Amino acid sequence: MAFEMRARPLAKCIKCTSHRSLTLPIRSFTSAARLALDVDTGATETQAPPPSTPKKRDPNTVTTAHGERQLLRNQRLMPIGSRRRRAAMQQSGLPFSELPYQCFQEAREYLREDRAEKLEAIRIERERIEKLKQAKVSETEQSRKEIRLQSMQRQLEELKILADINDPLVKKTFEDGKGDMNKPIYRYLADRKWRSYKRRVLIQRITQMNVVPDVLPSIEPVVSTSLSFAGRKVAHGEFVDSLISAQAPKLNIQCYDKGKRLVTIAVINPDVPDVSKDGFGYRCHFLACNIEISPTDTQVNLSKLVEDKQVVLPWLPAYAQKGLPYQRMSVVILNQSGPGETETRPIDVTTIQASDKKRDGFILRSFVNRMKLTPVGVDLFRTKWDDGTAEVMQNAGIPGWDVEFRAKRIEPLPYQRKDGERYR
Amino acid sequence: MVLIAHHTGLAKAPSMATLAILSSALKDLRISQQSLPAISHMSKRNASHQAQGRANKAKDGPGKRLGAKKTGGEYVVPGNIIFKQRGTLWFPGDNCFMGRDHTIHAGAPGYVTYYKDPARHPDRKYIGIVFEKGHSLPQPAHAVRRRKLGMLAYQTPPPTQPIDQVFDALGPTPSISQLSPVAVKKNSRGSTLALRPGYQYRQANWEIGREAEKREAAMQEQGKTTRMFPVFKPKNRFAAWRKSAARISKNAETRARNRMGKAKK
Repeated sequence: MAFEMRARPLAKCIKCTSHRSLTLPIRSFTSAARLALDVDTGATETQAPPPSTPKKRDPNTVTTAHGERQLLRNQRLMPIGSRRRRAAMQQSGLPFSELPYQCFQEAREYLREDRAEKLEAIRIERERIEKLKQAKVSETEQSRKEIRLQSMQRQLEELKILADINDPLVKKTFEDGKGDMNKPIYRYLADRKWRSYKRRVLIQRITQMNVVPDVLPSIEPVVSTSLSFAGRKVAHGEFVDSLISAQAPKLNIQCYDKGKRLVTIAVINPDVPDVSKDGFGYRCHFLACNIEISPTDTQVNLSKLVEDKQVVLPWLPAYAQKGLPYQRMSVVILNQSGPGETETRPIDVTTIQASDKKRDGFILRSFVNRMKLTPVGVDLFRTKWDDGTAEVMQNAGIPGWDVEFRAKRIEPLPYQRKDGERYR
Repeated sequence: MVLIAHHTGLAKAPSMATLAILSSALKDLRISQQSLPAISHMSKRNASHQAQGRANKAKDGPGKRLGAKKTGGEYVVPGNIIFKQRGTLWFPGDNCFMGRDHTIHAGAPGYVTYYKDPARHPDRKYIGIVFEKGHSLPQPAHAVRRRKLGMLAYQTPPPTQPIDQVFDALGPTPSISQLSPVAVKKNSRGSTLALRPGYQYRQANWEIGREAEKREAAMQEQGKTTRMFPVFKPKNRFAAWRKSAARISKNAETRARNRMGKAKK
């Protein structure tokens, strides 16, 4: 050891000086191999190291971002459920509700009692509604009875949500994305989630891009929409390539109140140039009625609707001629019920006026008033001239693909010569 | 005493005014009443008003010519200056925009309107432009906005012939050998050398770039290769290590051989 210390000053620098008796693998001036390991190295040099096989990962229990990436890359699998759920799966095989924490179980007991209370309240409310329905009232009292019934119905719906809102299993199911939209509690949670962020973004887009005064006087969206072209989702107000928007999109309309309803979908472009008027006009790119949606039945493929019962105007590719500013394509969902009506009614497509079957100059405001519709949802995408627009217009047989718009020259004001006093 | 203190302490001549005061104070004590020359006629007033620095309050600078350049109802064209200001006394409303120094410019031809829009902001003042004399601002909240296109449509000329079609029309491109027999040579490998700028007979750069590939292809046909090592794979660290080890050992060998050669000499 002492020899080594003298021979190798580096050895002095080793941090742990207390373990002097420890023989460190430092090679002194010896010709023979010190360790068996050293002998082998010559032989192993020429051989390749064994190929590293990627670790098999379980899509049910992978929790780290790295693990998820590896799973996707090596096994081509998507992780299942939320990361929280996967962490829970990893830790124990016990079901979530049977976790052995005293506080947790006591809290569950407390919630169970609360739920029983709420269920009792629901039963009483139902009885009261029934009793009121049976009750005979005079003609003058009839409207008051209707209002009373409506408010009691609202109260009942509220109680249904209150019964389940604190249930940890409900929360877990919703977060895992497995909520049943037929049940009021999951509809309520989904609505709350949508309103917390996505709806605000939508409102901001339609007000900043002036869809609201230009297409409709006002709109209060109650259904969420998401637009997808060729399988790719489009954010509200995003620019879509004209080659992509040549095909009709798919629309996902999620409503948050129970029951089926019939809706009309209109795609309106409020930025159609009108040179003679020196202003802008409207064009309807798509119009279809009698589309049935429900909380669980949300997908609408605009290209696969029934020709003579639903479609009034089939899809026209979105385009903006060269030189024009971008054009807004607003997708409006209209409930087929008037302001006071609760039930939607079908529209006979054949009876729709000839003026409504014309694409150019289609004014949605008057259509909504005439057909007695209520706007419930809105979506938006934008289009501008790009490399594919001319081709798209030629394929669709739209004239004007070779027209270019240029700014009109505005005559400058005549130069006002100031009075001679100033120039002396 | 005061005088002495002045003389010794500060070593500075007392001012004429001080001397005059002192001489009048000592006059009564003086025994001989003979008159001394009056100091008062010797006194001199020096400037005591500071001329530099912040002695006086800063006066108003030159006027900056701020304010309204166009009044309400006046006709403007895009780019006209409507209001010059420091800060935002006025905000740009419809068809107006704000310049770098908060100047309000016209963005469309029309008539200037000064207005308030409580729906947009409770206490901001706006300058906007309306297209017609009778119109007013702000526009009603739920009505369609008044907008102007301000553009004209022009027919674009028919597209020119694509470049590849133009070349097709010209016929096949003449090769180097066809260009001039004098300006072409051949090297030992048989590749064509053209007279290139700088009076050099050489291959074009792109041909030089392809040369190694060509030779490799020719060798491959014979079942051989020009490569010293198999095709480089950037992720194969083991192969890279082997290669570098081989290179290092080869270099060491060469060096040793050279050293031996020198020693012999």
